[in-house]
Amino acid sequence: MPRSARLILEAGAVLLVGCLVALLANQLSPKGLSLSRDYFPGASRPPTPLPLASVPAPQANGQTNPPPAPTNTTIARLQAHGIQVADSNLVIQSFHDPLHAQELIIFVDARDDRHYQEGHVPGAFLFDHYRPAEYLPAVLPACLTAEKVILYCNGGNCEDSEFAAVTLKDAGVPAARLWVYPGGFSEWLTNGLPVETGPRKSGVFKEARP
Amino acid sequence: MTTPSGTSRNPWGTWAAVLARLILGGVFLYMGLNKALDPVGFLKLVRQYDLVHGPPWINLVAVTVPWLEAFCGALLVAGVAVRGTALLALAMLVPFTALVIRRALEIQAATGSAFCAIRFDCGCGAGEVWICAKIVENTLLTLLALFLTACRSHRWAARPFLLAAGTPGPAREPSPAP
Repeated sequence: MPRSARLILEAGAVLLVGCLVALLANQLSPKGLSLSRDYFPGASRPPTPLPLASVPAPQANGQTNPPPAPTNTTIARLQAHGIQVADSNLVIQSFHDPLHAQELIIFVDARDDRHYQEGHVPGAFLFDHYRPAEYLPAVLPACLTAEKVILYCNGGNCEDSEFAAVTLKDAGVPAARLWVYPGGFSEWLTNGLPVETGPRKSGVFKEARP
Repeated sequence: MTTPSGTSRNPWGTWAAVLARLILGGVFLYMGLNKALDPVGFLKLVRQYDLVHGPPWINLVAVTVPWLEAFCGALLVAGVAVRGTALLALAMLVPFTALVIRRALEIQAATGSAFCAIRFDCGCGAGEVWICAKIVENTLLTLLALFLTACRSHRWAARPFLLAAGTPGPAREPSPAP
């Protein structure tokens, strides 16, 4: 067999074994992904560039641009699912509403456990929608009894709160009760609102630092 | 220069091959494991490239690429199927680099930033990177992969040739005549 053919065959063998190892490792890993699950429900395309760029374009006066506001596309996409968009005022008002203490208004943090432990809206439920089997049983009953469910993630171009809202809707929570807060946790911090750390209702608070 | 038995007569070439294997393998292993240990994070980054849509394809890419990279890295470090693995690494590096550049150009078009001022998480396994530094890094890795694909010097390699039983192996002292 010519050397070049042997080389290609060897590369093919490594590729094949590597793919099998990958599938096996994914199967065994507790963090493994399901191959058939739609992890981005309700979204057909990723947002156009920007989301990962951390160097905003400088303006003529030397200042940098503010974080991007929710686009009309985001709002339209949410509204197509019958989900409402919550602005900063509505979120603050809801947080201080007596219904919040009665858990008739609840906050749902759609980030992952690490970010949640570092700081979240006081009393917010954690719902990492990428791991529904782990989190849905705890959050779903609270969402089904609440009158208003406000979901947030990091803000900016983060879409996890949208996906979590669609997942909750698909799980049976009426869309009319679901609100997505596009400003997210970064806007919450900017507004200097209280931040709870550790598990839910830990009673440990820290100073808000944007 | 390489002897028929696969060992190089040039000691510099021999050690360069060992070093190239360890660098390329080490980088692939590190980057691959970083991604494999955060599959959701990598899945989100794969989606940003807008190449494959919906399950199972996007999930399959997010599952296989990191582990395949780590697997190739481990083979290179151990010195197993070196040339074939280096060729596969090359086949991954070239399109991945092209995709990263395309993504950076999209960001540049959207932000108006200077090309080298663009810093983003390309899904390469090391978090946010400056695009120009990434291009230099990938070019160097591509050159290492090319060198290893062409090189037949394999000191300190567990099983350099997977398919060629009996051909190039470690040089042996000739048996004394009976």
